[in-house]
Amino acid sequence: MRLTGAIYRGGIVLAYTVMLLPVVLLAVTSVFRDAIIAFPPSGLSLEWYRNALGRDEFLDGFVTSFKVAAIATLIGVPAGTAASLALVRSNLRAKQAITTFLLGPIIVPGIVAGTALYLTYLLAQTRLDRDIVGTLPGLVAAHVLLTIPWTVRVVTAGLQGLDRSVEEAALNLGARHATVFWRVTLPMMRPAIVAASMFSFIQSFENLELTLLLVGPGMSTLPIAMLNYLEFQIDPTLAAVATIQIVVIAAMMLVTDRYVKLSRIV
Amino acid sequence: MAKLVLPAGLLVLLLLGGPMLLMLRYSFNVFDPLFLMKQAFTFENYARAVADPYYQKILTTTILVALACTALTTLLAYGPAYWLARMESRWKSKLTILTMFPLLVGGVVRSAGYLALLSTDGLVNAALRGAGIIAEPLQLLYTPGAVIFATVGIVLPYMILTLASVIESIPRQVEEAAANLGARPGRSFFRVLMPLSLPGVLAGATLVFILCMNAYATPLLLGGPQFQMMAPAVYEQFARASNWPFGAALAFLLLIVTVILTSLGSSVIARRYRAG
Repeated sequence: MRLTGAIYRGGIVLAYTVMLLPVVLLAVTSVFRDAIIAFPPSGLSLEWYRNALGRDEFLDGFVTSFKVAAIATLIGVPAGTAASLALVRSNLRAKQAITTFLLGPIIVPGIVAGTALYLTYLLAQTRLDRDIVGTLPGLVAAHVLLTIPWTVRVVTAGLQGLDRSVEEAALNLGARHATVFWRVTLPMMRPAIVAASMFSFIQSFENLELTLLLVGPGMSTLPIAMLNYLEFQIDPTLAAVATIQIVVIAAMMLVTDRYVKLSRIV
Repeated sequence: MAKLVLPAGLLVLLLLGGPMLLMLRYSFNVFDPLFLMKQAFTFENYARAVADPYYQKILTTTILVALACTALTTLLAYGPAYWLARMESRWKSKLTILTMFPLLVGGVVRSAGYLALLSTDGLVNAALRGAGIIAEPLQLLYTPGAVIFATVGIVLPYMILTLASVIESIPRQVEEAAANLGARPGRSFFRVLMPLSLPGVLAGATLVFILCMNAYATPLLLGGPQFQMMAPAVYEQFARASNWPFGAALAFLLLIVTVILTSLGSSVIARRYRAG
């Protein structure tokens, strides 16, 4: 009995350590003074942050990733929300099959979908005589494949949990269907839509596998810029970039959590 | 209202369905050093991908690493998931956010973190040397163990969150009933909680297995140049070798093996439990 409890508690500590230690470690090593990360450090320094902010590849990567994620979210969340309404509320046939199809981009390995898109882009490039690989529209189109399934996943779950009696009450009180949708249904869906937007944005922002072949010179995303910089060696500049990203993501989560309880969504 | 599914449906069809068909067609073509690719209809590329010992080894490594990671992740996630699901204090939502947080930080950043943990001058070696346990640093990096360790750490949050949401939906009374009827915690776990949480285990394990089969950053950064897995190998065919037909065949092989193994796994486990 006591042994079972010890294993249970030890397992919990182990799991959270394995999960969180690397993230904490990056933040810690980003203020080490030495150019090669070694424990213990000979001193502390904030020099690496200046170094990180001065490197164009990270700044450009950040801007590209941000633009791609924002536009892909603006396309994917409305499309995914509309699809979720149809999937949960309409008399659509073969709902299960359509749901699986829309979640397909999550099920197909990112590297496989990415290569398929790469070949399609190259074919389209020769036909249309214009660049698609290594352009913003090309990246956005690919990342819509991330934002749609994540939105469908989060919003269908949210819709299934909605209390329909509120809408029925509005209808009984004489509101028209359109009014009920805009004034009752949509506001009730707000938490799910906010959460879907956050997940879509971050999934796009940190994606690697789907994006690998689709970047080009001068048009790279932050994760790929970081991966190229890593080159089998971790140094404090990269730790500083990673820490800035970690802080941005944490801030986004905390702000979102003020509007919708994230723990209720996933 | 049914029409609302169209925008999303058409986008996925255009951006995933079409490209996958194109890649399928390319995988039957023949590589040509001069024109890159010649139209053909041959299974040569698939035959090579399956028969070439070099790629056999890569595929075997990928499957073994993915299986090991899935098993370890499931084992490691159960405790935290149960803890999270049955927690009632105000810390619950904080802990859920903390569990989600690493997911959203991204694989590349966390792989970098595992590098800082496992490298020759990394935290583990420094701690072991500081404690006087070892004199020379251990070679932790560029081993299969490092890849498995980091991959488990990276996919663990998915498993915990999926499992926790399923365990939460199992009424507490079921466990209390088992305890009242005299079942000890271990027995109650294996005979009551585990069978009931099986859908969550399956959903989580499937997702985790797909992610592990698809892993790119961890094998590349923590496995070193000698350690090969499928995702980097597929990338290599397009980025460097420019052998599109073979690369396409490798990509489909990866997809087919993933689909077969996930459906096989779910049906075997589901049947076992229906019988027991």
